[in-house]
Amino acid sequence: MTESASRVFVTGVGVVSSIGLGRREFFSALEKGTTGISPLELFDSTSIGRGYAGEVKIFDPKDHLTQAELKRTGRCSAMALAAARMAFEDAKIDASALKGPRTSVVVGTTMGEADVIGELDHAWIKNGPRAVSRTLLPKYGSTLLPIHVARAIGAEGMILCMPAACAAGNYAIGFAADLIRAGKADVVVCGSSEIIQELEFAGFARLAAMAPERCQPFDLNRQGLILGEGAGMLVLESEAHAIKRGATLCAEIGGYGLSCDAYHITRPHPDAQGSISAMRQAIVRSQISPNDVDFVNAHGTGTKANDQAEAKVMKDVFGDRRVPISSVKSMIGHCMGAASALEAVACIFTIETGIYPPTIGYETPDPECDLEVVGNVARKGRAEIVLNNSLAFGGYNAITCFAKPHVLPSPKKAA
Amino acid sequence: MTRFITGYGVCSALGVGRETFLAAMKNPTLLEHRTLPAAQAFTSEDARVAEVPDFDPAKYLGDKGLRTLDRLTKLVLVAARLAAHDAGIKKDNAYVVHAGERVGILCSNAYGSLEAITELNRVAKLEDARYINPAKFPNTVANSASGYVSIWEDFKALNVAISDGNCGALDAFTMAEVHLSQDRADALLVGGGEAMSEALCLAFQKLGVLETKAVLGEGAAFVVVEKVARGNVLAHVLGSGSAFSAPESDLQVTHGSADALSRAIASALAEANVDKGEIDLVVSGASGLRVFDRIEIAAIQSTLHEDVAIAAPKMLFGETLGAGGAMAAASALAYLEGAPPTPIVSGTSRPLKTMLLTAMGYYGNASAVVLRAP
Repeated sequence: MTESASRVFVTGVGVVSSIGLGRREFFSALEKGTTGISPLELFDSTSIGRGYAGEVKIFDPKDHLTQAELKRTGRCSAMALAAARMAFEDAKIDASALKGPRTSVVVGTTMGEADVIGELDHAWIKNGPRAVSRTLLPKYGSTLLPIHVARAIGAEGMILCMPAACAAGNYAIGFAADLIRAGKADVVVCGSSEIIQELEFAGFARLAAMAPERCQPFDLNRQGLILGEGAGMLVLESEAHAIKRGATLCAEIGGYGLSCDAYHITRPHPDAQGSISAMRQAIVRSQISPNDVDFVNAHGTGTKANDQAEAKVMKDVFGDRRVPISSVKSMIGHCMGAASALEAVACIFTIETGIYPPTIGYETPDPECDLEVVGNVARKGRAEIVLNNSLAFGGYNAITCFAKPHVLPSPKKAA
Repeated sequence: MTRFITGYGVCSALGVGRETFLAAMKNPTLLEHRTLPAAQAFTSEDARVAEVPDFDPAKYLGDKGLRTLDRLTKLVLVAARLAAHDAGIKKDNAYVVHAGERVGILCSNAYGSLEAITELNRVAKLEDARYINPAKFPNTVANSASGYVSIWEDFKALNVAISDGNCGALDAFTMAEVHLSQDRADALLVGGGEAMSEALCLAFQKLGVLETKAVLGEGAAFVVVEKVARGNVLAHVLGSGSAFSAPESDLQVTHGSADALSRAIASALAEANVDKGEIDLVVSGASGLRVFDRIEIAAIQSTLHEDVAIAAPKMLFGETLGAGGAMAAASALAYLEGAPPTPIVSGTSRPLKTMLLTAMGYYGNASAVVLRAP
């Protein structure tokens, strides 16, 4: 008889996004199809030729962090920490109860504290090595993202940063669930964080990947992605831990799939074999069939190549069955490292409410993306089991399954 | 659960390739006794850094496709290719055993490609952001080097980038075990890389690190960890552990934690089902950075015993940060092939069978891995 591993539940979520801070604001905006994309104010991007982003203009670290934390953190860590605090509150779990070696933290990102290295570089380039601030140096390093969160709660288990580009959130959430199933942790605070920074913004513009003002995933006339920023954090608990403290179960985490295209550093494989493999793994590892999947939260960047590849994944896995799919990047932009964690929170929204968030700006269906896109207006539907897609830079594919609690079969213990 | 190391590849200040590394480890010279050549990665007359000497990636990778790649990517690519061939997974860059869909990589790196980031920031600042080279932009992304390995080597199973400072490459062993136990791959390249750059050197100079006995190094190393014993097994991976402890002061950022290392060691021993008395040698992360070294050695002694032999191989090839744990693993494999553990900074040497690798992060994290001779 196969031994069971612990079920893993999401018991709290926290969000820093351009359409709202925290569960309530974010969920409400998702349902309404609110756009968070607006003229960029962080820096002057006139010469780059692109000026819109999903910039988080409503976030002030001072509202969420202690004085000491403000001194220690860059903006990316501050967003991660603020979202984590919201997640603890949402989980109704006292941060001090998380203290000890059975709590871990796993946080993903793409560029981490990119503004810190930008500031250091700019001082150095402008005024020479003497101008490089010694006190600013220790703020750099993606390693610090989970460290700051761990310090806030006294977590003493494995503390890990996974810089998995646009799939970082799914990587972090998937591995966090692994730690619990492997018996290495009872609680894992996980998610991802990203900020918009000048070099990153210019880089995507130079790759000719950015749209001028709107992100229109799966639309015939889509012009590319719009960069965004923010943080999504989740509290994951083992079944025993959650039950013992009487936690409210938001959702259960099923299996997840990982693969690498091994094709091109920025472009998805045109046959989408890697992402197809990742989605099939997520389904098989959740012990379900494609017919059980009710909704897919798309990676949906709004670039020609990505959306076409994702459409191929859907066709290959679901055949003629038109599973509803939607991309919240149409509202918040492509939040890079934070994307799939924010989208995981959107999956929790769908599971809790039975509402599929809309893909706004969806005007003309692209025959090459012949999908059941939830266009412009949120839709009610069955939401027992949903998938969260991420098809990232570097050929990284990570697809995670979320479900209503106890809908999935008990997970099997790893061999 | 026991896993099997079947090969490894190394680029370090001791040279490129297993044989070169082994030869240098068998005839060890401390960095403090070596005259280091002038830095190649940047122009400097006085930077005392330990680079990979005369690094020529084309020798291992061919001429094509290297022009826009940064030094970090090239180091990681070479080490990964050498590891896959050393393990017999590939011959002449074609798969001999396993399929690409069943081979993956876990790649640690602490600070990203500072070379690439600085170069593009320089263009953006001195000229204009619209002039940055789009072909070089991907090098600024943290998982770029790891992603390129999959592209060059056709590794289609999982590809995981890890940013966990000095502990990342040992944490990669923990992650590898989780993924192998879930049957996500048959073989995983476990390790990491760190490249020398002017920015990295400047940062460590500013922080006063280079005024100590520590020498900033660079390199990349991967060991091939397989689910099932195959080929020439070099060592068994028995267990691993990782822990974190915050500093007492709320304002402090950097600190070494004896408590975290002690717990990481205890977890690794428990998972390995190994008694502390069975550890014949600790391959430590001690680098000459006195404050951290003192804490690490004291934690090892208090967790194991006072007389346990502790080696500090970083004194031979420098502090390689995100690659550090992988370099420790390569050192341990060299010891099993007859290289004398050098220098021994504490304790008494004895015949080797079971070794503990340790790493202490700069922010309160620590990790440990148990290896045993086959």
